[in-house]
Amino acid sequence: MICPNLPRDHPALAGTPPGEGNFCGRKLFIKRLFYGPGRNLLLFDENIAECVPYVEESMSKYTVEFKGTKEGVTIYCQENAGFEEVLLDLAARLKQRAVFFGQSKVRIDVGGRQLTEAEQERLADVLAKNSKLVLAGVQTSAERTAEFSPARRRGETDDLKLENCKEGRSIVIKRTLRSGQSIHYPGNVIVLGDVNPGAEIVAEGDIFVYGTLRGIAHAGRGGDRSASVVALRLAPTQLRIASVISRAPDESALPNQPEYAYISDDRIMIAAVSTKFAL
Amino acid sequence: MGAVIVITSGKGGVGKTTTTANLGVGLAMLGEKVVLIDADIGLRNLDVVMGLENRIVYDLVDVVEGNCRPKQALIRDKRYDTLFLLPAAQTRDKNAVTPEQMKKLCAELKEEYDFVLVDCPAGIEQGFRNAIAGADRALIVTTPEVSAVRDADRIIGLLEAADLGDPKLIINRLRPDMVKRGDMMDIEDILEILAIDLIGVIPDDEKIIISTNRGEPVVANDNGSLSGQAYRNIVRRVRGENVPFLQLYKNSSIFSRLKKIMGLSG
Repeated sequence: MICPNLPRDHPALAGTPPGEGNFCGRKLFIKRLFYGPGRNLLLFDENIAECVPYVEESMSKYTVEFKGTKEGVTIYCQENAGFEEVLLDLAARLKQRAVFFGQSKVRIDVGGRQLTEAEQERLADVLAKNSKLVLAGVQTSAERTAEFSPARRRGETDDLKLENCKEGRSIVIKRTLRSGQSIHYPGNVIVLGDVNPGAEIVAEGDIFVYGTLRGIAHAGRGGDRSASVVALRLAPTQLRIASVISRAPDESALPNQPEYAYISDDRIMIAAVSTKFAL
Repeated sequence: MGAVIVITSGKGGVGKTTTTANLGVGLAMLGEKVVLIDADIGLRNLDVVMGLENRIVYDLVDVVEGNCRPKQALIRDKRYDTLFLLPAAQTRDKNAVTPEQMKKLCAELKEEYDFVLVDCPAGIEQGFRNAIAGADRALIVTTPEVSAVRDADRIIGLLEAADLGDPKLIINRLRPDMVKRGDMMDIEDILEILAIDLIGVIPDDEKIIISTNRGEPVVANDNGSLSGQAYRNIVRRVRGENVPFLQLYKNSSIFSRLKKIMGLSG
C-alpha cells in the first residue's frame, strides 16, 4: 500500500527541482508518497515530519474508484457526483474490470449519501449485471471513518485503556550527539547513542536516550510538567523539565543502571527505571 | 594516488604540529613521498619544528593565489629527501585561502605524493574549514584533559557533518604515573566519550620538547625514548599495519577490567 518512491515526473513535483515540490503554495521536501486510508494520497513532508493530504486533480475521469484492501475490493463513489452518474460510471468500469476481479467480495463506499432501499437495489443490480462480484455490503463515509478510528489504528484491544498515555510526534536519532550539536524538536526525542557533554536536546515531550546522557536535556519545554527524561546512564550536565532546572551534583559517579527523571513537588526527582516503572 | 590526512584537535596546544612533523618524518623514513601542509596561516610553526624556517621563499597563499607553482613552494627536508613542507604564510590570515582552493591543491598534490599531511589550526572557524576541505582521512589529537576531550568531541561532530567520517584518535602527553594515581583521565575514559578508534598513545616526554626546540622530530631519534617509539608505531598504523599498543601502565589487568565491566570500580 505504501509507495516509497515518488516518480520524478509525478504532478506533485511538476516544475520544481528534484527533492522539492509545491503543495497548496507551500514548499515541500518530498521523499515519500503514501496511500492513506480511503483513496487519498498522502505526501510525506520532511520539514514538519508529517503526512499531508495530496489530492491529485482529475485523478480519474470516472466517479467511481476501485481499491483493493486486505478485506477485498472496495468501490469508492465520488462525494459530489450525482447518483445516476455514479451508476453509469460503475457499469462502465465494471465492464472493463470484471474479468480482473472475478468473483471476489466487494464493498461499495457511497460516501456521505444516505441511500434509499430502492437505490441500494439499483446499485446491486448494476453490479450483478456487469460482473460476478459478490456485494458484501454498502458503507457510508461515517462508517468508514469509524473503521479507522485512532484506537483501532493503534491496534488497541478492548481490555486495554490508554487514557493516560500521550500520543505525539517523535524523532529517532540513530547516532551520538557530540559537543556543540543540538536538537530542538516539538515532540519526543529518542536517541540511539550517547549525548556527550556540550550537546543539547530540547523537546516539547519526553526524552529517551539509549546510551549515556552527559549533555543538557530539556524535556517538556513549553510547560509539560509530566514530561520525563530517561537514559540508560543518566549523568547530565543539567536537566530541565518544563520550567524546573537541576544540575548534576559536583561529585557524582556514573550510575550503573537506567534512570528516569521527572517532576515531583516542583523538584526534579531521579529514580531507577525498574522501580519507577514497577509502581 | 596518495591520501590526504588532516591532523586536527579543536583545542590549541595539544600537539598537532609536533604530531604532523613526527608523522611526516616517520613516513619519509619508511620511503613514502610526503608533503606537509601548514594550514595555520598567520601563526606558522611547522617550519620551525622541522628546522626549515630559513628556507622559505614561497608559501601556501602564494600557491593558491597563483604567484608560483606548488613545486616551487615545496621545501625539501634537510635529512629525508622524500619529505617536503608547504609552509603557511605568516603575513596573511586564514581568509586568504578558501576551502575550494585547498581542495584543488590537495587533489593536485596527492596525484604525486603518497601522503599529504595537513596541520590544522586550532579552532573551528575558517582555518579549520580550509584544512579539512581536501582531506580524505582525519587524525584527532587530544590530551587527557577534560577541555581537550570536549573540543575533540566537537571536532568529531563537525568532521561527521563534513562527511569526513571515521577519524582516528591520538592521545598525547599521557602521564602513566598520574593515571595510576587516578589524577589523570585514563585512555578508557577518553574512548568512552569520544567513541572513535584509537591509533596511538604518546606518553608525556621531555625529549619531545628538546627535539621540537632543536627542529629534529623525536621519531627519528634512536635514543630509546618511549615517545619516539609511540610515534613510530602510529606511522606504521597510518600505513595500514597492525601494531600492538605500547604498554604504558599496567592498569588493565584482567581483574580490574572485570571490575570495570561489572561497575564495581569508580
